[in-house]
Amino acid sequence: MKVSMKWLKEYADIPMTAEEYESRMIMTGTGVEGTEFLGAELENVVVGRVLTCRDHENSDHLHVCTVDVGEEEALQIVCGAPNVKEGLLVPVAKIGAKLPGGHVIKKGKLRGVESQGMLCSGPEIGVPVELYPSVGDAGLLVFQEEYPLGTDVRTIFGLDDTVIDFEILANRPDCLCVWGVARETAAAMGTELKLPEIKVQEVGDDIADYARVEVLESELCPRYAAKVVKNVRVAPSPAWLRQYLHACGMRSINNIVDITNFVMLETGHPMHAFDLDKVEGRHIIVRKANKGETLTTLDGKEHALPETALMICDETHPTGLAGIMGGEESEITEDTKTILFECAAFDRTSIRLTSRAMGIRTESSGRFERGVNPQTCMDALLRACQMVNELDAGDVVSGVIDLYPNPAKPVVLDVNCKRICTRAGVEVNPEEMKAILEKLLFQVEVNGENMKVTAPAFRQDIEQEADICEEVLRYAGYDRIPITHLKGENPMGGLNEKTRNQKMLRTLLSGMGFYETMTFSFVSKKAIDMLGMPQDDRRSKPLMVLNPLGEDTACMRTTMLCGLLKTLSTNMKNGNVDGRIYELGATFDAINRTAENLPTETPSLAIGMYGNADFYSIRGVVEALCKENGIQYKIEKAEEKYLHPGRQTKLMLGDEMLCVLGEVHPDTAEKFDLPGRAYVAEVNLSVFFQAIRPMEMVKSIARFPAVQRDLALVMKEDVLVGPMMDALKSGCGALLEDIRMFDVFRGVQIGEGNKSVAFSFTFRSADHTLTEDEINKLTNKALKIAAEQFDAHIRA
Amino acid sequence: MDIRENLDLISREMHEALENVGSLQELEALKVKVLGKKGSLTALLRSMGQLSPEERPKAGQMINVAREELTAALEEKQQALSSAEKEMRLKKEAIDVTEPRDLPLVGTVHPTQLVLNEVLSCFEGLGYEVVEGPEVELDHYNFELLNLPKNHPARDAQDTFYIDDSIVLRTHTSPVQARTMLTKKPPIRIVCPGRVFRADEVDATHSPVFHQIEGLVIDKDVSMGDLKGTLDAFAKRLYGDDIEVRFRPSFFPFTEPSAEVDLTCFNCHGKGCKMCKGTGWIEVLGCGMVNPKVLEMCGIDSSVYSGFAFGIGLERITMLRYGIKDMRLLYEGDLRFLRQFR
Repeated sequence: MKVSMKWLKEYADIPMTAEEYESRMIMTGTGVEGTEFLGAELENVVVGRVLTCRDHENSDHLHVCTVDVGEEEALQIVCGAPNVKEGLLVPVAKIGAKLPGGHVIKKGKLRGVESQGMLCSGPEIGVPVELYPSVGDAGLLVFQEEYPLGTDVRTIFGLDDTVIDFEILANRPDCLCVWGVARETAAAMGTELKLPEIKVQEVGDDIADYARVEVLESELCPRYAAKVVKNVRVAPSPAWLRQYLHACGMRSINNIVDITNFVMLETGHPMHAFDLDKVEGRHIIVRKANKGETLTTLDGKEHALPETALMICDETHPTGLAGIMGGEESEITEDTKTILFECAAFDRTSIRLTSRAMGIRTESSGRFERGVNPQTCMDALLRACQMVNELDAGDVVSGVIDLYPNPAKPVVLDVNCKRICTRAGVEVNPEEMKAILEKLLFQVEVNGENMKVTAPAFRQDIEQEADICEEVLRYAGYDRIPITHLKGENPMGGLNEKTRNQKMLRTLLSGMGFYETMTFSFVSKKAIDMLGMPQDDRRSKPLMVLNPLGEDTACMRTTMLCGLLKTLSTNMKNGNVDGRIYELGATFDAINRTAENLPTETPSLAIGMYGNADFYSIRGVVEALCKENGIQYKIEKAEEKYLHPGRQTKLMLGDEMLCVLGEVHPDTAEKFDLPGRAYVAEVNLSVFFQAIRPMEMVKSIARFPAVQRDLALVMKEDVLVGPMMDALKSGCGALLEDIRMFDVFRGVQIGEGNKSVAFSFTFRSADHTLTEDEINKLTNKALKIAAEQFDAHIRA
Repeated sequence: MDIRENLDLISREMHEALENVGSLQELEALKVKVLGKKGSLTALLRSMGQLSPEERPKAGQMINVAREELTAALEEKQQALSSAEKEMRLKKEAIDVTEPRDLPLVGTVHPTQLVLNEVLSCFEGLGYEVVEGPEVELDHYNFELLNLPKNHPARDAQDTFYIDDSIVLRTHTSPVQARTMLTKKPPIRIVCPGRVFRADEVDATHSPVFHQIEGLVIDKDVSMGDLKGTLDAFAKRLYGDDIEVRFRPSFFPFTEPSAEVDLTCFNCHGKGCKMCKGTGWIEVLGCGMVNPKVLEMCGIDSSVYSGFAFGIGLERITMLRYGIKDMRLLYEGDLRFLRQFR
């Protein structure tokens, strides 16, 4: 919300520096986003009169002038403009002057003649044409009016003004205008609020003879107020008005349109002016659009109208999009004779939806979306008529049309000062509270520690005691809030189970050299499809986002792999050696819904490795995580398309899958742009966390010695070592303490298609030292199992 | 020769030989030569048989004394030799202790998580319980119970991703607070960390996915002062004892009164620098007293209970903490970036 300080100061004095003012406003809730001095690019350019003007002896187009800038001595200035002549009043850039674009005027000689400055054209001083119409003329800018010599030209163009861009909070649409900021300013400064007294001179007649208004949608248009002006004299606006509009970022059109914009900026009420002679039957009807209706708006574009759009119509067709933009047909032109000023309140949702649907956003629609207060429409309407009087832009017809079937009642609250203080944490006595609230134009009756507070009509945000508390606190000062500590009982804080478990996983993975990554929770459908999962796999049917930013945010991840593979690719391509990464996050199941119809969210862990790693390293990582948590699983065959068919497995916990892991399939690697082998694992943490077993009691340390026997067994290549070890373990019974594989050998010595696997058996008894005989029996048993069940025989 | 002379001879010879012994092996040989089964002293001992019974005890004593003396000399030499040898070995084994080697692999948690861990441990210490909720959330919890009814303009500010009319990607972790208030009786003291979503295009300071941690306290007579005290403790714990908090009036639909909270710039300690744009303050979080309407909607009697809530953007404080200029780094997972954290 940009506000001209000149304009603002008409209504509230600011007896402090700009910095102090801004900081005071910020601390009372009106943020400042930026400050701009309009004349920052134009310095030391003054009004001067050309006293003499002669031709330059060494040039066919230059002139040598003497110019009076109100100083003791006239300046000699060489000028090339063809229209320069004696007696003109012109802008003079003195030595050291700054012009837009960063030009600095220096003393110099032009073809041998000294020049002490420059006479300026309109474009050279960069003033927009709406601030001073003749800046558009060719050649030297010539002032039409008399100004004292030496006057800073910025005062002529209204560039001696500062514009502050205020940040207005969402609950304070009443501050989106000069009056609103002035109200806060006066309260913050403790100065008097000097809003104008609104008086309108009317010429008689009766508005009823000029126009009729009918509102068919009073829900969407709670108030429609109108005044008529006849004998309209459309003309350019005076300089001050053009300058105010310019400072606030609006263009001057003509006096009538400028009045509507001026009033909008000043009061916050968007207004519209209709050429009443172009309104069929001089009858305005507020209704929704009919099927097939179109409207050509002020900007000359024709729009098809959605049937939900609220329209301002005459007896035959739409003449304006309510609250958004007027129609071209009833636009104010030089020939306009009679106008109707509209100041209405429209439903913000309706305006927002229509504005969205039609892709039209205007200053007006933006204000209606944030909420325009129906209670204050009349002030704005009458202010517009007062401006018509002041600018002599027409004759205001007596009477007013005001359709306001359900006027809002004043908000009256009974509040308790003690409760307010408790909430605020600040001691403010009732008298101080009253003073603060009255400064903010509330009416207050104090009754002991209770108060009856009536909110001013322009404040639609006041609904409850807590709102009064905020008002009091804003002006008592947020700095007065003390630092205190919670009383009451001291509860036991702590992590919940999931975050505690995740923390444990992070600790373990950090210790194993893994780095945590984070990727987005949404992925593209394409990325999921690249994993080649079957179409009936749930992971191929993700939860779709209704309004994604693009393909990459189209669906919620059903697996962590897409993000993981992308991160692996990034790192491999960036030449980072030996990548070890993981991510903790949720995956989403669109099919399996909760009782609340929300998708099931499964906490998951994805792990990825490349470089100094192989299948067994990633399996080892997951196994270590399981071991650390007392989780016992079964290793089973997996058939994931995205993994190498011969290098993948899954860890199962009964029927539930704990983890799938393996080497990335070369096709997947190619699709995800992985320039080498990579290994991935995805762990279902909801299964994992449930399987965590607390640690049991410690076992006593064995007292009798262990005996170790190493055996190398030769077997066919396709014999699986895992099941074989399981069989050996269960076959040898309790005396076999441990069995460990320590070598695999392949070579001609043992024959093609065979492998020799070396195991180390550790035997131990809890109650005696094993005898040689016992040990031999045990090894023979092991050899028998190996031979009978796995066709594996001791290596010769 | 009598025994005495023999002993002297043996002793002299051995002491001479000892002088020249350079290794434990030579020493062992010498020991055998003198004290071994066939050694000179042993031979002398055996020759005692030829002596008269009267002479024997005296001779035996002399031999024993000599034996002890010789054994002690040998032992002394052995100790000298073995410590010299050990010294030699250690000297040989000296290595270049400055030679580099690969370190054991130690990874680290994500920088955002590092900061979250600090924040969590602070609030755990203050007695807050961690509560989580779904990331895909009902509109009802994400908006309606938080005083953001349908078509409320503040909803637009949050640029929501929708799944359908009633399901959204949560735009803040506040729905966890609403769920907690509906299920748990006061006093409530919780923090809710989590992932949130807003339809913002990716750039250096925006991401459609980011993380928040929000806190909620509901009890009797809770005040803005208690809120300031809590956040002051938090700020000092995270950034140091010289950090002050400043409250500025603000607006959030679910709190009233509301405040933006600035902390003393932890880069310049309030003097004014580039990071704080010369103000000496850094905007870090939003907070306020829970709007009584929210309490009522969540089934808590607002005439008995009040409370405060605050919300912190984790990426923002992470970027401030580590001087990260581009938010995208947090989501790319480039190890050249991640390996810098500890």
